Amino acid sequence: MTDTTPTRAEHKLARKMKRFENPWMNPKLLWGAGILIGIIVLGLLGRIFWDPELVFTGSAPLKLPPIGFENLRKQAGIWDFPLGTDGAGRDLLALIIIGAPNSLFVGLLASCVGMGLGIFLGFSAGFIGGRTDDFIRVISDVMITIPPLLILVVFQAAYGDVSLTMMALLIAAFVWQSPTRLIRAQVLSMRESGYVQMARLSGASTMHIMFKEMLPNLVPYLFGSFIANVTTSIVTAVGLEVLGLGPQRIPTLGRTIYEAINSGALIQNLWWWWGIPTLLLAVMFIGLLLINLGLDEVSNPRLRKLS
Amino acid sequence: MSFKKSVLLASALALAATTGIYAQEVAREDTVIFDLDRTIKDPENFNWFTPGTKRLHGAHQAMWEPLFILNYVSGELEPWLGTEFTANATHDVWTLSIRDGVKWSDGEAFNADDVVFTVNMALGNEDLSAREAATIRAQVASVEKVDDLTVTFNLKKPNPRFAVENFGVRIFGSFLIMPEHVWSKQEDPATFAFYPPIGTGPYKYTSGASNRMIWDRDDNYWGASAGFNDLPEPKRLIWLESGGEESRAQLMATNQMDVANTVTLGTFEAIQAQNPSIIAWKDGMPFAWSDPCARQLEFNTTVAPWGDANMRQAINHIINRQQIVNVAYEGTTETSRSIFVQYGGMEKYISAIEGAGMGFSSKADVAAGQALIEAAGYVKGADGIYEKDGQDLVANVTVNTASTELTRAVDVILEQLQRAGIDAKPVPVENGVFWGTALPLGEYELAYTWLSCGSINEPWASMGRYTAKDVAPIGERAPGFNNTGRWNTEATAAYSAIVDKMGGLGVGDPAIQGMVLDAYKYYRDEVPFLPIVQASKLLPYNTNYWTGWPTQANNYNHPAHWWGHMHQVLHNLKKAN
Repeated sequence: MTDTTPTRAEHKLARKMKRFENPWMNPKLLWGAGILIGIIVLGLLGRIFWDPELVFTGSAPLKLPPIGFENLRKQAGIWDFPLGTDGAGRDLLALIIIGAPNSLFVGLLASCVGMGLGIFLGFSAGFIGGRTDDFIRVISDVMITIPPLLILVVFQAAYGDVSLTMMALLIAAFVWQSPTRLIRAQVLSMRESGYVQMARLSGASTMHIMFKEMLPNLVPYLFGSFIANVTTSIVTAVGLEVLGLGPQRIPTLGRTIYEAINSGALIQNLWWWWGIPTLLLAVMFIGLLLINLGLDEVSNPRLRKLS
Repeated sequence: MSFKKSVLLASALALAATTGIYAQEVAREDTVIFDLDRTIKDPENFNWFTPGTKRLHGAHQAMWEPLFILNYVSGELEPWLGTEFTANATHDVWTLSIRDGVKWSDGEAFNADDVVFTVNMALGNEDLSAREAATIRAQVASVEKVDDLTVTFNLKKPNPRFAVENFGVRIFGSFLIMPEHVWSKQEDPATFAFYPPIGTGPYKYTSGASNRMIWDRDDNYWGASAGFNDLPEPKRLIWLESGGEESRAQLMATNQMDVANTVTLGTFEAIQAQNPSIIAWKDGMPFAWSDPCARQLEFNTTVAPWGDANMRQAINHIINRQQIVNVAYEGTTETSRSIFVQYGGMEKYISAIEGAGMGFSSKADVAAGQALIEAAGYVKGADGIYEKDGQDLVANVTVNTASTELTRAVDVILEQLQRAGIDAKPVPVENGVFWGTALPLGEYELAYTWLSCGSINEPWASMGRYTAKDVAPIGERAPGFNNTGRWNTEATAAYSAIVDKMGGLGVGDPAIQGMVLDAYKYYRDEVPFLPIVQASKLLPYNTNYWTGWPTQANNYNHPAHWWGHMHQVLHNLKKAN
C-alpha cells in the first residue's frame, strides 16, 4: 500500500494549481486589463475632477514645467497645472485625460470593426469554401501586402481634418486581413471535426454551425488576435498623428508629440511636453502586451507556469 | 566581378559622389550656410518668371543683382546695376541710367539691350506670371533704348513710384534683368529652364538639389574691376533646407548654419543659451525685426457665407488679436491697428484712421460677432456650432505649413472661432501649393497671409492691391497676388476710383491723407481681409564664422535674408577671428 498523504511540496503545488483553476484569473491578463482600465478611469474621472476645457489653445500660461521642476526661464511648476503646460498654453494633465482614452478608443473601435469583418470573412472563406474562399483569400492576401500607413497618409493628407471615428474606420480597413486568415485556417481544421459533422447531419444552417457551434471554440484565438489588432491600430493612429495628420483639434497623444517636435520642444528642454505622452503610450502598449501574453496562456495551457 | 561586389562598388561611388558636393575644397570658415524653408521642386529650373522656388535659394541674393536696392532705414533707393532712375514732370516717362562696366559672369556686357529685351519679354507674354512681371505688364506701355547705358520707359499712366515699386527690392524681390544673349535664342520664355543660369552677381551657380543650392564666388566679378565694390569675403554660399524649427535650432546651436529662418522666442532663447554667438536684430526682448508684411486673414469673397460683409465683420469681432500675440508670438510682436505696417512713416495715416473710428481693436467682442452671425440667420445648434438650413457654419482656414509661426497663429485663430460657435478647421498646405495655386487661383475659403504688404512710408502700395481692376475669375491667376479674395462690390468700385487717383499723385502729396480716409471707409465697411498682427521675424544669425550681419545697432539695411537685397549683406560680411 502506498502512502497517499501529500507532501508539503505537493500541498503548495496544489494551492498554486487551485489558483489557476480559472484560467482567466491569469496575473498577466489582470495586470494588463488593470492598466487599460486605469487609463479609461483616468479619462472618466478626469473629466469630472479636472477642467477638460484646458486642452484648448491659449487656456493656460505657456511652457510651465511640472510640479517640482523649473523651465529654461526659471519658472517653477504650479499646482494649477501639475503636469505643466505646452507651448500653445494647453494643460498637459487635461491633454492626457482627454487624449489617452481617445487613442485607446481609436484602437478599440478600429480593431472591433476589423475583427468583425475578419470573423465574418474568415468563417465564410473557411466554411463555405470554393469560389468564395478563393475570392476572400486573394483579396486578403493582396491587402496584407499593402502598407496601411502609406495609403492612410495619402488619404488624410488629401482630406485634411478627420474625426476620431473616421480615422478608426479608415484604420479598420487595414486590420481585417490577419484575423481573416487566422480564422479561415482554424475553421478549415475544425470543419471536419465530429461535432461539426454532427451539426451538419442534424440539418443545422451554415450560419448556425459557423457562429453557434464553431465560434465559441475560437474565442481565445479571437481575443488574442483582437488585442494584437488594437496594438496595431493604435500604432497606426499614433503614426499618423505624429506626422501631423489625423484629427486637428481633438487632442490625442500622437498629435501632442507632433506639436512638441514641431515647436522645438527638444531644444527648449520642454521634456514634459513630449515625454509624458510618450510615457503614457508606452504604458498603454505594455498593458496590451500583458493582456496578449495572458490570453496566450489562457488559450494554451502548456504555457501556464506553476511557479 | 561578382554581383555583390559591383553593387558595393556602385554604392560606394554613389556615396562618394553625393558627399563630393560637400567635399570641402572650400573650408567651413569660408562658407556661409543659409536656411531654406522649402523644398526646391525643380532645382534645374531658373526661370524666375514662372511659379516655383526659383529665386530665394540664393539666385536673387547672390547671382542676379537688382538695379536698385531700397534702404529700409534711410528710405533711399541705393543704386546697384542702375545709377539713376528719373521721371519727367508728369511721372509717366522714366529714364534709367545703367552703370558702366557691368558684366555677365560669361563675360558679355550688361547693357540697355538686356533691359529692353527683358521688359519686352514680360510685356509680350502673359505666361510669365511672377508678381514683378505682372506689375510691369500692368504699368509699362513701351520701353526704348536710348543708348547702351540709357533706357526710357513709357508708362500707361503716371506712377511716381515706378522705380521703387519695380526695380528697388521694396518687397522680397524686384524685376530682374535677364541676359539677352541667352534668352533671345529661346522660342518660348515661359518654358525655358535657363539652366545653367548666369547672372551679374559675385557668385556663380555650382550645384543644386531639391534640398540645397550651392554658389561659389566668381573671382572675375565685374564690381571689383569696375571699382563698384570689393569681392565679398565668403568663397562659398550654401542654401540648405533645414526642415523645421527643431532641426533649424540644432544646426544653429552647433554652428552648422549661419543664418536661420524665423524661430519662436523660446527656441531662440534656447539656441542662444547653448551657443552665445547667436544674435538677432535686437539684442534684447523681443529680439525680432518686424517685416513690412503684416499678417492678415484673407477671405475668398466668392465662397458663401464669406461674400457677406457682415459675416466678415463678425469674424473681426470674434478675433482676439492680443491673445494671438501672447500665445502664438509669445509677445514678440504687436496687434495690427489698421491694414498698414506700423512703421514710423505710416504712423500719421494709422492715427488718422484710428481717429476716424476705423481702427481694429486688439480685443475681442464675441457677443457683437455672434449677434451679426445670428442676424444672418444662423442659430446655435446643440453642439455649440451655428447652423443654418441644417448646415454647420464652417470656416476652412488655409495655412502654409512652411513655418511654425503661421501654423501657431492659425491654431489660435481657429480656437477663437470654435469657441464662438464657428466650426473652424485648418487646411494645411505645403508652401508651393499655398503660393502656387491656393491663393492666386482662389482655391481657398479663408487664408492666413500677408498680401496687403507693400506700403513702407506711403499708403498707396498696400491699398492699390485690392482694387477692382485686379479681380480675376476663380481658377485664373490673380495678377501679382493682388485682390486674391476677389473683392468686387459697389464699395470696391468706389474704393478703386479713389485709390487709382491716389496712384497718380506724388509721394507726400498733401491730398493723399484725405483720400486715404475716404477710400479706407469703403474697405472698413466691408473688410475683404482682416489685419491681425504685425509680422515678427526672429531670425537667428551666427557670428561664429561671420560678422557684419544687419542688426539694429548696425542697420545698413534689414535682415530678411530671402530678399534680393542680400547682395548688400554679402559685401558687408567679415570673417570672424
